[in-house]
Amino acid sequence: MILEFMRDDHRACDHLYAEAESALLAKDAEKAKTIFDQFYTATNHHFDMEEKELFITFEKRTGMMGGPTQMMRYEHQQLRSLIESMRLALNENRTNDFFGIGESMMIMLQQHNMKEEQMLYPMIDRTLGGDAELIIQTLRDMPI
Amino acid sequence: MFEGLSLDQAPPISVVLRFFLSVPVFGIFLSVLMMLYPTQILTVNHPLSLAAIHLLFLGVITMSMIGALFQMQSVLGGRPIPAPLGNAFLIHILFSVGIFTLAGAFITQIAPLFVLAATLLGSGIVYTVFLIIPLLFKSSLHDTLRGMRLALISLFITALLGIVMADAYAEGNFSTFHEAIRATHYSFALIGWIGALIIAVAFQVVEMFYVATPYSDWCKHNVFRIIPAALILKTLWLFLALPYVWVFDLLLAALLMGFFTTTVRRLRERKRRVSDVSIWFWSIGMGLLFVSLIAYGGYLWNMEEVILQIAVIAYALFALSIILGMMGKIVPFLVWFHLSSAGYMDAPIMSHVIPLKRSQSLFGLFVLVCGTAVMSVLYPPLFILTGVFSFALFALLGYNLIQALKLYRYTLTHGTRFTLE
Repeated sequence: MILEFMRDDHRACDHLYAEAESALLAKDAEKAKTIFDQFYTATNHHFDMEEKELFITFEKRTGMMGGPTQMMRYEHQQLRSLIESMRLALNENRTNDFFGIGESMMIMLQQHNMKEEQMLYPMIDRTLGGDAELIIQTLRDMPI
Repeated sequence: MFEGLSLDQAPPISVVLRFFLSVPVFGIFLSVLMMLYPTQILTVNHPLSLAAIHLLFLGVITMSMIGALFQMQSVLGGRPIPAPLGNAFLIHILFSVGIFTLAGAFITQIAPLFVLAATLLGSGIVYTVFLIIPLLFKSSLHDTLRGMRLALISLFITALLGIVMADAYAEGNFSTFHEAIRATHYSFALIGWIGALIIAVAFQVVEMFYVATPYSDWCKHNVFRIIPAALILKTLWLFLALPYVWVFDLLLAALLMGFFTTTVRRLRERKRRVSDVSIWFWSIGMGLLFVSLIAYGGYLWNMEEVILQIAVIAYALFALSIILGMMGKIVPFLVWFHLSSAGYMDAPIMSHVIPLKRSQSLFGLFVLVCGTAVMSVLYPPLFILTGVFSFALFALLGYNLIQALKLYRYTLTHGTRFTLE
């Protein structure tokens, strides 16, 4: 099911972020940068899976073009901008800024994930029905 | 079929802050009562004790929870509360005037005040429940939503029983069912309303914000079935005056002990190791829940009222702890979020809205309140000191909230806003 697949991907991204934070707390800036880059790539890939495949399929099937998926795209933009600011802060060794922006980013990301997990993915699952497995395979095959 | 995902990200900031800003006002009023009448407040069923209890559970705890519900509804409920500005204004007025009137009624024992308080609070609660409940039934069903439904239905039942009791106080005529009504009233309030909402929020917050292991599916699916079943059966037992009513209390206490154990384990093993003040509040909150449950178990064993008082005080402080921890996150986030969403490039980051030192001071004061409150049950004059610390706690909370609001308004007026022009 889409819900389980995408929820697991959310958690995988969260774990990477937590690891990057922990490395920075342990004053290991290089490790933090490496793991944060993985988080950056994984999160952007997750957004791409939704925007380039999942949402489009859902919109085609339901005809809902300006609805919830549009709101999620808008939130992706806000989150991309925050994550980019954090990457800059980390690369410039501005640790306080990294944690400062990170606090807002994490709350916003989790609110966004809650909306998707509680509302949007169940809607998509209902829409896709038996085709969900096929879509999941397409998402798995998307290049990172 | 596809109802359920809000296009609005959040209600206007004033909607939530209106409720949050009232919390320190009620808290300070409560603290003054604690300083002036410590012994009376610690006497079970004394009018001043009842005034203090309602200031705490309605003015501080429920007011915070209603404010948070306005915010949570658009995220977890899927459908935002319609006309948030007007509805928040109306509900807030009914609650604020109603709570002060009820406290005044208990203090002065003027009969018409009970009727007025029941009318205002009853209208406020019934209006709130009927505003939000239909939104929860039209959304996709998930466990947190079940918890929110249970909490609101429990609040509704609490209010109905409260109205019945207010009428009894106004007429000075207590029916033979008065004790059953009173026990049902506080059971639904403490467990059905406050407990269920905190558990529902914990299912989301602990796992997602602190990157912790999810609560078990069994726990998530069944907790909001067991709580109402136990509450309904307890009510029946109370009204039919059947024996062994304590079995249902024991069942609820065991459930909360399970919640305590699983939450503490998740907090301890969380992946995010950043130790912020909200984690401290969650941790001490869980400690207070443990104290409350152990004390309540002791009360069921030996029926000592002193132990019951410890249980009630620790339970109230458990709820307050979670609320203070969450408020310390929600308010800075909302200030940043609303400003940055409106295009203000110099929107302050969260740690600038409520500086760490002030958050830590708030936690320090809370610890002092907890320590002295529990000990004062054994030595009541100490409750004056609890009142002093509580006064400082709520004054600092008020200062934090006002400063956050001032920073928000200052940035609105003087900030640099990104526009396409």
